[in-house]
Amino acid sequence: MRAIEALVTELARLPGIGRKTAQRLTFHLLQQGPEESSRLARALDTVATTVRACAECGYVAEEERCEFCRDARRDAGLICVVEEAASVQAVERSTEFRGRYHVLGGRLSPLDGIGPESLRIDSLLERVRGGGVREVILATNPSMEGEVTATYLHQVLAGEGLRVTRLARGLPMGGDLEYVDGVTLAHALLARQDIVG
Amino acid sequence: MPPITTPAIILGALRYGDTSKIVRLATRDLGIRSALAKGALRPRSRFGASLQLLSEGVAHLYLKETRDLQTLAAFDLTSLRSGLAADLPRFSAAAAIGEVAWRFSPAESHPDSYDLLSGALTVLETAPEEAIEVLGLRMLWRLVSVLGFAPALDRCARDGTPLPPDTPLRFSAAEGGGLCSRCADGHGVSTLAPVDRRALEALVSSEAELPVFDERHAASHRRLFARFLRHHLAEGGEMPAITFWEERSWVSR
Ligand SMILES: [Zn+2]
Ligand SMILES: [Zn+2]
Repeated sequence: MRAIEALVTELARLPGIGRKTAQRLTFHLLQQGPEESSRLARALDTVATTVRACAECGYVAEEERCEFCRDARRDAGLICVVEEAASVQAVERSTEFRGRYHVLGGRLSPLDGIGPESLRIDSLLERVRGGGVREVILATNPSMEGEVTATYLHQVLAGEGLRVTRLARGLPMGGDLEYVDGVTLAHALLARQDIVG
Repeated sequence: MPPITTPAIILGALRYGDTSKIVRLATRDLGIRSALAKGALRPRSRFGASLQLLSEGVAHLYLKETRDLQTLAAFDLTSLRSGLAADLPRFSAAAAIGEVAWRFSPAESHPDSYDLLSGALTVLETAPEEAIEVLGLRMLWRLVSVLGFAPALDRCARDGTPLPPDTPLRFSAAEGGGLCSRCADGHGVSTLAPVDRRALEALVSSEAELPVFDERHAASHRRLFARFLRHHLAEGGEMPAITFWEERSWVSR
């Protein structure tokens, strides 16, 4: 049936969902009746039409600026740079961080053809040059690509007259920040180090 | 049955499901392989930090020859190669070499190309920044040569006519090297002045002293290699890491 096939195909596009799981989800929805499916469809539609990237930092927002950029109690002089929105949630969940964020939208990855022009680096520079920023914390993931992204950003930010720090070593290499346990992440943020070189 | 162990280099890693990774491996004894590393994304996974792009170690593989995807039971890290992340030129050269190894290595064991890849990554990790450009070119040409695709430089790539030394070289990326005056009909042929031809010969050789380039010459040599790869070997296929290395889009910023 074409309608079922279309839904399975869409679901199977999602990360971590194979064709078999997509079929199982589809039949689950069919069994639950039309109300269940309609609610899911409405939720998806609402997200698609109301959620966008924050004009300032790139995090998810329902207004022009996200909850953190609108919060005047948040220190605008301290910016934590992360790869993805999921990392913002990891930092929020486990640390006392009271600054703001900048979401790059990925990391430098030659094998995926992702260069600096594909990331939100220009807007980071704009924020920094706008004044008032004392410190940028590079909280890219502890992976090879995360490291090279951090060293590149450090070069770009050098000469802007601010402190540039990196999460302390000791994070398990290879994972994403979202998989790092909260205590370790909180410690890595507290013990962040100035980048030398 | 116990797993088979072989030296291996990680050439790529994709997320698989919520907790696992699929890794692309260049192995010394089993050629190029893809393998599933179950649970590699879990916080206390037995793979720990080891499955990093371009890191080297001993892979423990369960093989099923009827399948494309093998199972990685363990990876004992011997070199993380974290020094490759020190700057973007270094990392992009290393990634380009990894991409060539992945795309053009044979499916069966090929120790010579494995050893060259491993040596190249070690050299790139420690070389001074100003040497990275020319070393990257040398390693890329050496790797395609060891894989059996050396460019024809002293004989016509089409009919084998000897090409007199120290003359301009009519280089055809599609044909895979220099062409004699009879074969070079102008299509897709770029002419290398004797000095550039000598530089290319030096890059392809394993012993010759490395040539010295300014950025303009380095850029044309990068372009030459990328065209050779695309037209002669990749049949127009996408090579993102080669493009990244060739264009150096970060420099203009
Ligand atoms: Zn924001
Ligand atoms: Zn000829």
